[in-house]
Amino acid sequence: MASNSSKYLAANRSRLLKDRMARWGVTLGGSMVLIALLMIFFYLLYVVEPIFRSVKVEPLTDFAAPGQGQTLALGMEEQGEIGYRFDDQGLVTFFAVQDKPSQQRQAGQVLLQQQLLDAADITAFDATLPVNNRYVYAMSGGRALIVQPKFSVSFPNNERLIEPYVEVLNDGQPLLIDQQQRQLNQLVYEYDDATMQFAAVTAAGDLLLTRFNANEDFLTGAVTLEASYQQIPFNGVIDELEMTPDLRQLMVRRGERIHVYDVSSDGNVSERQLLISDNKAMGKITTVELLAGASSIIIGHDSGKISQWFQVASDEGRNYQFIRSFDSGNSAVKALVVEYYRRTFYSVAADGELNIFHTTSEADLYHQRPAGVAVQQAVIDPRANHLLALSDGRLHLFDVDNEHPEVTWSGLWHEVWYEGYPEPQYTWQSTSGSDDFEPKFSLVPISFGTIKAAAYAMLFAVPIGLAAAVYTAYFMSPSVRKAVKPTVEIMEALPTVILGFLAGLWLAPLVEQYLPGMMAVLVLVPLAIIATAFIWSRLPTHIRSKVSDGRAALLLMPIILLVGYFAFGMSPLIEDWLFDGNVRGYLTNELGITFDQRNSLVVGIAMGFAVIPTIFSIAEDAVFSVPKHLTQGSLALGATPWQTLTRVVLLTASPGIFSAIMMGLGRAVGETMIVLMATGNTPIMDWNIFEGMRTLSANIAVEMPESEVGSSHYRILFLAAFVLFIFTFIFNTAAEFVRQRLRDKYSSM
Amino acid sequence: MISVTPNTSNTETLDLANLTTEQTALTINDLNLYYGENQALHQVSMAIPKNRVTAFIGPSGCGKSTLLRCINRMNDLVEICRIEGEIKLHDKNIYDKDVDVAALRRRIGMVFQRPNPFPKSIYENVVYGMRLMGVSDRRVLDEVVENSLKGAALWDEVKDRLNDSAFSLSGGQQQRLVIARSIAIEPEVLLLDEPTSALDPISTLTIEELITELKAKYTVVIVTHNMQQAARVSDQTAFMYMGKLIEYADTNTLFTTPSEKKTEDYITGRYG
Repeated sequence: MASNSSKYLAANRSRLLKDRMARWGVTLGGSMVLIALLMIFFYLLYVVEPIFRSVKVEPLTDFAAPGQGQTLALGMEEQGEIGYRFDDQGLVTFFAVQDKPSQQRQAGQVLLQQQLLDAADITAFDATLPVNNRYVYAMSGGRALIVQPKFSVSFPNNERLIEPYVEVLNDGQPLLIDQQQRQLNQLVYEYDDATMQFAAVTAAGDLLLTRFNANEDFLTGAVTLEASYQQIPFNGVIDELEMTPDLRQLMVRRGERIHVYDVSSDGNVSERQLLISDNKAMGKITTVELLAGASSIIIGHDSGKISQWFQVASDEGRNYQFIRSFDSGNSAVKALVVEYYRRTFYSVAADGELNIFHTTSEADLYHQRPAGVAVQQAVIDPRANHLLALSDGRLHLFDVDNEHPEVTWSGLWHEVWYEGYPEPQYTWQSTSGSDDFEPKFSLVPISFGTIKAAAYAMLFAVPIGLAAAVYTAYFMSPSVRKAVKPTVEIMEALPTVILGFLAGLWLAPLVEQYLPGMMAVLVLVPLAIIATAFIWSRLPTHIRSKVSDGRAALLLMPIILLVGYFAFGMSPLIEDWLFDGNVRGYLTNELGITFDQRNSLVVGIAMGFAVIPTIFSIAEDAVFSVPKHLTQGSLALGATPWQTLTRVVLLTASPGIFSAIMMGLGRAVGETMIVLMATGNTPIMDWNIFEGMRTLSANIAVEMPESEVGSSHYRILFLAAFVLFIFTFIFNTAAEFVRQRLRDKYSSM
Repeated sequence: MISVTPNTSNTETLDLANLTTEQTALTINDLNLYYGENQALHQVSMAIPKNRVTAFIGPSGCGKSTLLRCINRMNDLVEICRIEGEIKLHDKNIYDKDVDVAALRRRIGMVFQRPNPFPKSIYENVVYGMRLMGVSDRRVLDEVVENSLKGAALWDEVKDRLNDSAFSLSGGQQQRLVIARSIAIEPEVLLLDEPTSALDPISTLTIEELITELKAKYTVVIVTHNMQQAARVSDQTAFMYMGKLIEYADTNTLFTTPSEKKTEDYITGRYG
């Protein structure tokens, strides 16, 4: 007895074990899926998060400013190890800004000091745009001395060693700026590969423009400078000069007025525009600087306001226009410091506050005395992560954490006024050939593209997919259905790269060539199907009975082929008759519709084909699984099959049909290869069916390989992925919610 | 022999072999039905009297449901089904080419084994047939709903919640709703295919009482597994076996003095 019962128990125990293992296995699998999903979610967030971090300015070192006299300019080399200072005693002093024990360097230690000229010789001083990295002294006798701090990098003992040196241009000789050798009270200097250009104001108030063109002797290789001197007529006291590094424009400020001169051609200087700052709203101008890229002027005012101006195309050509202003507080703007490459600038207020702004994103990033230091002068290093500030004879080095000033939430989703654009707009343009380029990150055009592509695909796929599903599940004979259903479902396994390839290289040119035929097909095929069905239903019974009901649809095949052939055959004729033989020209010229070869029509068709199997498969299952007793109940009440379909079957299958559409939509939104290959990838915002688009997914695929890891661009691509994730998440959640509601309402027993 | 409560209705016994035209609702003549190669009905001939309850009994697979489904051509839905012979409704063969099947089914309603209300409200279930015919006048529909639900003995239970989902009803109520739905379009014949086999005893009783009342207005044909039920509700009973009509007689006669050995064996429980 006892052995018997223990036997039963043993048998039960192994069953129990299996049962438990199965339960654990299933739970584990389910949780792993959930965890994987959450990890993707949080990883995306983790990569994206830094772009929304606020700016941090942390003190690193401070030391007495080396050198003598008053500071004319401060600078730093790229690694943030060495700083330099030009002073009014004619000295340039290089010093370590950070401790580096391995090279016996301490912060403040002078590494190189060089007397460039006598203090008494200096009449004026100017620095080029930071990226050009040259400094110029105006010397007595109407001369100028150009200096460029340089750094040599070597790696003794596998450690980076940076050594400063100074290069004085023109073999250490000053250049003659004023032929009459008058004293220059103000000077501005810029250069490019072949030309050095100066503008200067003499003690008498004359405005001079002097240009040196370098001519290389092609035999000896010796470079000779050819000077040209010119005087620009100007009345009044000049407060400030600025010159664009392309050497085309000279800005002369007199009080609240800035005269813009076109100095691009020799001997032909003309005043192009007069900018008048709004004195009432902004206060008096204190300083003017060119922003990185030199497309924008930023103007500091004594009210603490800073205004940005740039050139905008108008009827009178490209003129400077007031764009936006920034508020740095109530204290006057003492100095504006621009970054080397980005549109970020720093303003030093009279009360010692440091303010950081980014122009394009209109971001107000920082507003305080860093670590309590009242800043008098400041400079940023080329990589924009070290700030050297002068305060009461001491220099303070700060670590600046400001990786992504150009990205703000509103900049991603609202219209932004980019440099040179006539108005604020949504633009995605992440890279360009020029260094002066300002990246434009608006997620709106690519989100729009995603929705547009999905919408056109759904427009094509939903009617076909659902009609096919209903027909297959409800009307088709079981034997035909057995062949049709797996065939359509196999289409789902077709790699989308093939569909995209066909769409881009075969369908798009075909659509372009036979546009009228294509449009005719879209109209004629459905009409032909309906007409055929109607005629079929009117045929005498003895003809109809030859074909069983479930197979009658196969008769449509030749009709569709015939109509398609007809439409494409007629296409050139229609084009000749109605559109003067050129539909594209007609669309563009007469209707003003842009036509791209790779357009939404092509994408709609190609992606429609990718989506149809998804919709078909799920919807077919839904319709087919409507209980037979419901259909029979309806038929038994005298309903025709059509009435039964519309009143009972579709209603009961509605949760499944809805799921099918949402699954299709989810697929269309996330689809990458087809939109990548068939859209042209132009991030434009237009519902026009003949234009392309760029979708979130294609955008990621196109740009991820070329984006620098950790850059704003890289993180924004992750943000795009996150947005895509949210898109699909919202679609699926909404779909599931509605499906549950429908199921509660309509599903039967 | 099992105890059978004889049909208590006091309808007079009809001569089933020689019904007059007025007495006849349906006539089945030499009906043969094939599922592919397989013959399911053999030479069935019978006349179904008007305003009476006729029961088909027999063991599983004997063809009684198939026969019932022939009467409103539900077998048309089976692709491999082929029918010979004729079923006449008012001297018109329902299998003639020019018969509109939908119209035919309006005149010959059917209730299935499992309650099959549509996923709609109680009200919409009842007016489904009317709406199919294009009736949308609210007053007409309201009247039809009330009459039909009263006719199906469901009105008192649901009159306050006509807009609730039909699924909120119990199985027995659902089946009565289906009957109400069928009689809403006022058919001549009502076919009941084992209408109580999925129901509890109390619901069964309610439906049986309902069937007895229905025959005042409709000709009722019922297929049942339950011999007591056949005996309780029907006026005449047809016993089928292996696709053949073995015996067709007045219910009292068939259950008390069957003329065929097979009938006697079946009703005494020797097989089935």
